[in-house]
This record gives sequence, C-alpha cells and structure tokens, in this order.
Amino acid sequence: MSIAPKPHCALLIVGHGSTENPDSSTPYFEHAEEIRSRGLFSEVHCCFWKEEPSMREALYLIDSAEVYVVPDFISEGYFTQDVIPRELQLTGPTTEVRGKTFHYCLPVGVHRSMTDLILKRAKEVAPGISPAETTLIITGHGTGLNQNSTKAIRDQAELIAQSGAGYAAVLDAYMEEQPFIAEWAEMASTPNVVVVPFFISDGLHSYQDIPVLLGIEAEVGAALSQTAVFRQNPHHLRGKTLFYSSAIGTERLLADVILDQIADFDSLHLAHPLPA
Amino acid sequence: MTTAQKLQQLLKSGYHRIGEIELQTDLYGYPYALCHQADVELSTEPAFGGLEIHHGPAAARDLSTYAEDGTYRFTKGQVNLKRGWVMVLESVQDLRLALDQFYPACLGLFLAQQDGSLEIETLREKLNRQTGMYRFARSISDAGAQQLVQTVCGPAHQCAKKILWKIDADTPLDDSEASRFNGIPNDLPATQAIPLLCREACNHFVAECRKAAKAEFEAKAASGA
Repeated sequence: MSIAPKPHCALLIVGHGSTENPDSSTPYFEHAEEIRSRGLFSEVHCCFWKEEPSMREALYLIDSAEVYVVPDFISEGYFTQDVIPRELQLTGPTTEVRGKTFHYCLPVGVHRSMTDLILKRAKEVAPGISPAETTLIITGHGTGLNQNSTKAIRDQAELIAQSGAGYAAVLDAYMEEQPFIAEWAEMASTPNVVVVPFFISDGLHSYQDIPVLLGIEAEVGAALSQTAVFRQNPHHLRGKTLFYSSAIGTERLLADVILDQIADFDSLHLAHPLPA
Repeated sequence: MTTAQKLQQLLKSGYHRIGEIELQTDLYGYPYALCHQADVELSTEPAFGGLEIHHGPAAARDLSTYAEDGTYRFTKGQVNLKRGWVMVLESVQDLRLALDQFYPACLGLFLAQQDGSLEIETLREKLNRQTGMYRFARSISDAGAQQLVQTVCGPAHQCAKKILWKIDADTPLDDSEASRFNGIPNDLPATQAIPLLCREACNHFVAECRKAAKAEFEAKAASGA
C-alpha cells in the first residue's frame, strides 16, 4: 500500500533502544532515513524509551502541528498500550497535546504485511533449500506478563502456514515462555530448520542471547557492530541443518510497514470524520 | 519559524559550538561544516587538513556512537567524541539533522528554553515512571540521589549537560561542580555556544539509582533496621 505525501505532518518513530547495546537503535534510524528519503513527511524523527532522545524530549524536535506516531515495536503489549501513550500523553487514536495533533498508529509487528517480510527473510537466509524439508520457526521474547506479546508471532506462524509457502511446519517459539526456542531441534521433524527472530534489531536478544539458546554460541558474545565476522549459515547442530537469520526489523522494507500502518490509521480513523 | 530557521539565526548571531562540535559556515564552498572543536584549525587547512570528509548528515550517528577507545557512548552528552573528521553539509536542514544525531533534541530543548516553553521533569517524576527491573530505582533516598549526581554527572564524569531538574519540586540539587555546570564544555561564552540541557535524568542515571537503591536496601537489611 502506498500513502499520499503528507507535507504538513511529522512522523515520529518510537523504539525501545538500549543503554548497553549500540546496535539496538540502528534499524529505527534506518527506517527513518528510508522514509525521509521519500519526502513524504515534513520531518521524520526517532525517539526511545532507553536512549536519547526520550519520548518526552522528542516533543521538542517537532515543528509540525500534526504528528503520526508509529511504534516500531513487534507486538502490542505493555510498551505500546501503556508506556508510549503515557510518555506522549496520548489518550486515544488522536490526541491534542500542547497544541499539536497526534495520531497514534498500531505497532509495525501486527501489520499483515509482516508475513511477506518473514517469508522473504526465510528464503534469503536459506537459498535453494526446499521448504517441504524445512521447519520455519519464528521466535520472539515472550513474557508471562502480557499475553499480547506473543500474539503477533502466533498470528504470523498461522498466516505463513496457510499461505501456501510450502514449509513442512511453521512454528512459534520464545526465549522466556513455552514453547522454548532452546528446544528447536526437538520441535522440528525436518532435516532443515530456519529460525527468524521476530525482533526489530539485532541487539542483545537476537544477536547475543538466542544464538546461545540455539547452540550456535557457547556463551553470550559481543554486540554485532563489535564483531568482525557475521555468523555464517548454515550451522550443523543437533543432527540438523540450522539457518539463523538477522532480526526481521533490520529489513529495510520495514519502512513500508510503517507507512502501511499510517495508511491503515487514516482509513480507519480519518476517512469518515464525524459530522461537525 | 522552523527549528532549522531558528538554527540559522543562532549561527548568524554568533553561536558556533554545541557540545564538542564546532559549527562552521561557508567552509571551502560548503554552506555548513562540522568538526570536533579540537580539529578546527585542521579543518580550515587545504583539503580539510587531512580530516576524514563526510558529505551529508548520514555519518553523524556512526561518528557519535563510539568513543576513540571503542567504548559505547550510551549518552551523547559524554565528552569523548571522536576526532579526525569533518562533515560538510549543503543545507541548514541537513545541519539540523546532523546535530539531532550528535546531540539528540539538544537544539530543540535550547530553543524551548529560550522561548520559555521547556518543561522540566524532577528526578522523582522520572523514577516513579520506571517499570520492570528499574522500578526499584524509585526507592533511592534523597541523600543517595544527591550523592549520585556528584559521582555520575558533570564533566568530571564525562557528561557535559547542564542539569535542569531537581530531586523533587521542593528539593534542589546540592551545590557541586556537577550541579553548577552550564552545559558548555571548554569555557566558551554562553553567547557563542548552544548548551546541552538535561531536562530529565537520563537512563544511565536511572540505572545508577537502581544500583544505589539496592545497596541502600541491603545496607539497611544488614544493620537490622
């Protein structure tokens, strides 16, 4: 889906960020740069929960009177439903804050167009491998605290299973709740396994923690940008051939999903304004 | 007037520094150029004195992510910006983009302070909004927080931001080098430099509050209090 230019609007991309891992915020800036280069908005900014600028500082970045806020998050959950609205003082889909109009869109990860990105990423990481002999595992963090945090991944696994992509099985698995990604080899009955991390960045979880859980690394390694050699696929482990991709959010096309969420917001909330 | 236009006015009125970065205009045909303040002389020599040349604002984030010794600059107010580069920019919009990467939101915060619209957030307000593992930070004592300001903030601890916040609405920071610092490194007059402003405690400070709060709790438990 394409959107018409909004030359009087700002786009604010919200991410998590990290005080410890410099790679965490890289995709957000890349998505911002990609959208900026298309000239669709008068200004495009990023802000974070754990990095600078903070969400509250970001309000001082914006000149435009109308602002689209898109959480560059993978699921709906605590951050998108509690933290971001509280920090930006948003009370609904559209909120007036200090003389500006903010439109609050859904997070990128719940958009239906993520399915194509996952399939693209899975094919790229395991070229020439027959899907019929391959289990595709989409993996995320998972937390007992919020049911919604795994919903986006479960939905994607189901959509891909029904998509006709031909994978022998499409499964979801998590770091901190069942089914555990650490048990990937037991979960898969095929000789090939492709694991796509459903995270925005190749930060602490997808680049450092999950490789340990998969058995690719013996211990948590350095951050991506501080390691000289990117891991080489495939990995022959536990009697299977494992392909591990970089985080889905590092796909530059995720910028399109941000725009898709804005288009969806417009058609849902702005297409049929209430009569005055 | 847009932020970029206000930046242009600041430059015309004599501002030429933000943090450790020198802002130059009309350098070898480029409308704007940025470099580390310690590299200003080199930047005016032919071929920019051998400094690594970056065209456009794209490299600003990479240049500001790691210090010379490879450590991650988790807050951009740190006074350990890499030297050895010059960034040439074709427009004031690109200049603004670059500055927002080197010193996120600092230009906007300064402009808001100038026009009286900057809202400050006390440490207690910031800590009380922390969640998850950082929730414990809110239990830090006032005395513990005052102590932390003096051991974490200020140029002696690598941060060049001017602290605007108080502990709570009625409790200003104790007088110290950190609380007095004006957000302008290298003693430049305030009419020449955009100060780095700290309107809310940073995440590094929050993390240190959590550690200190835990230490206070454990000390209290050990003493049987």
